[in-house]
Amino acid sequence: MIQLTALTKRYGDKTAVDDLTLLVRPGVVTGFLGPNGAGKSTTMRMILGLDLPTSGTATINGRAHHELPHPLRTIGSMLDARAAHPRRTAYKHLLYQAQTNAIPATRVDEVLDLVGLTEVAGKPAGSFSMGMTQRLGIAAALLGDPPVLVLDEPVNGLDPEGVRWIRALMRGLAAEGRTVLISSHLMSEMAMTADRLVVIGKGRLIAEGEIGDFTAAGSAVAVRTPESGVFARLLELAGAHVRPGPDDELLVTGMEAADVGRLAAAEGVTLFELSVRHASLEETFMELTRDAAEYGAAR
Amino acid sequence: MIATGVLKAEWTKFSSIRATMVLSLAVVAASGFFGWTFANMAAHEYATASAQERLDFLPLDQVMRGMLLVQLLISALGVLVATSEYGSGTLGPSLAAVGRRSRLVIAKAGMTALVALPVSVAGIGLMFVTSQVTLAAQGAPYLMPGDPDALLALLLGPVVFTLLALFGLALGLLLRGTAAAVNVSSTFLLMPVLAPIFPDFLSRLLTTYWPNGAGFRAVTSRSDLPPVLSFGLLVGFVAVMHIAAFTRFARRDA
Ligand SMILES: Nc1ncnc2c1ncn2[C@@H]1O[C@H](COP(=O)(O)OP(=O)(O)OP(=O)(O)O)[C@@H](O)[C@H]1O
Ligand SMILES: [Mg+2]
Repeated sequence: MIQLTALTKRYGDKTAVDDLTLLVRPGVVTGFLGPNGAGKSTTMRMILGLDLPTSGTATINGRAHHELPHPLRTIGSMLDARAAHPRRTAYKHLLYQAQTNAIPATRVDEVLDLVGLTEVAGKPAGSFSMGMTQRLGIAAALLGDPPVLVLDEPVNGLDPEGVRWIRALMRGLAAEGRTVLISSHLMSEMAMTADRLVVIGKGRLIAEGEIGDFTAAGSAVAVRTPESGVFARLLELAGAHVRPGPDDELLVTGMEAADVGRLAAAEGVTLFELSVRHASLEETFMELTRDAAEYGAAR
Repeated sequence: MIATGVLKAEWTKFSSIRATMVLSLAVVAASGFFGWTFANMAAHEYATASAQERLDFLPLDQVMRGMLLVQLLISALGVLVATSEYGSGTLGPSLAAVGRRSRLVIAKAGMTALVALPVSVAGIGLMFVTSQVTLAAQGAPYLMPGDPDALLALLLGPVVFTLLALFGLALGLLLRGTAAAVNVSSTFLLMPVLAPIFPDFLSRLLTTYWPNGAGFRAVTSRSDLPPVLSFGLLVGFVAVMHIAAFTRFARRDA
């Protein structure tokens, strides 16, 4: 479990994370979403004690990171997979981290095996491909068999097979009851991996909930009718929200498709088309973060 | 105070990259080489000196001057203990693994001392041997290791070197880049070497009170100050540097 309480980080007069209060629960994969510069990495760095909060707190299973006697056994992380000395072998890179937490060297072999790097364990990290580097980062995160995992953009730069592998791994770890927080700026990617979503923009919490909530929030009833002006007014009188869609469509929210059909029949309005549109998560995300992103672009 | 696991990890980091290991060897090799070179020069001077000059000949002073050059390498060794992490971005993972920042700094200081001390003992020992053997071979006066002056150099010299490695570590933590820290360290440590080009009073001040100058004076027992005070000056200075480095390190974003 990760608990953020009024977490705030300012760099000079730039507020990277703004009064963020959040509970990341165990047993599910939580997707941490936001456009570029939203403050995802900064939040994660504060959870791990790398950046010091301007105010507020971040705790892991009830304790601040610096209070953990053996941090790797409580929280595993990958913030930047490239953070390995290019001349140091993969094995030594993992060994030194294991030693800091009195984790036996046999565990290094185990995680190397788990991520499929056993054969290149003796090779310097600088010679690794992007995918191998990413796997080395995951291996480090798993060293302490931690109940909490924090991964910043874990699928960045991976091929489809690597992406599938990480997804399965994350879902498996969460199914074992661990807390898994992974960030991304791609909603579509999170839709496949996460159970819950936390969306931030400009350092602030924008939305939070189950994946299903987000798809439902984005769906609408599409109607095409020759009498669109009249019907739109009738729909609004009945309590629905109407906005124009493409091709003279009306996009109706706040009313079930069946009720839209009944209303049309009762009022004698001719319908050419009546269908349910599920907005993709991507569209929902764009909608949610538009203000934050626009503000960011205008600066 | 030192968590042994964190100390072990520091050694793993140190010993698993080439630069630090090569630098350690370079300290020993350069010490031997400078011992031989300066002894050759000294022996040559002795051979052509007048009887009076021969009476004043000091078999240790001139030939151990190589320490003033080797000190730059040993200090760079300390610098690398900190900056190899900044350079490769491993400070993040290291801190995430260790947690409390003081644990990492203490382990780094401990590891630097534990490496610098034996390396310095080997280096200064080799410098002594090559220089005295060279002097002896060319018929100049030389010292045996049991001589009080020789003992002082052989015992206290490595301690001074170790303190300079710790000075390098503090600079590395403060400046976070190898080039910057090595430049500052080298400039700082060369001040007493440059002393002769300064006006007399400044030159005297530098060799007596400048921290590493004071340290070397204590080693050669040529100080205007009591050796304990000279030595204490260096110890105090390195301690202050470490307090500054740690205070900064504890409160800064990694
Ligand atoms: N060390 C720093 N100094 C100054 N500003 C910073 C620093 N680190 C981050 N920022 C700023 O804080 C904001 C949040 O950055 P952060 O890296 O947390 O975003 P992010 O959500 O991870 O973005 P991305 O998707 O691009 O990785 C950005 O505007 C960034 O420019
Ligand atoms: Mg980021």
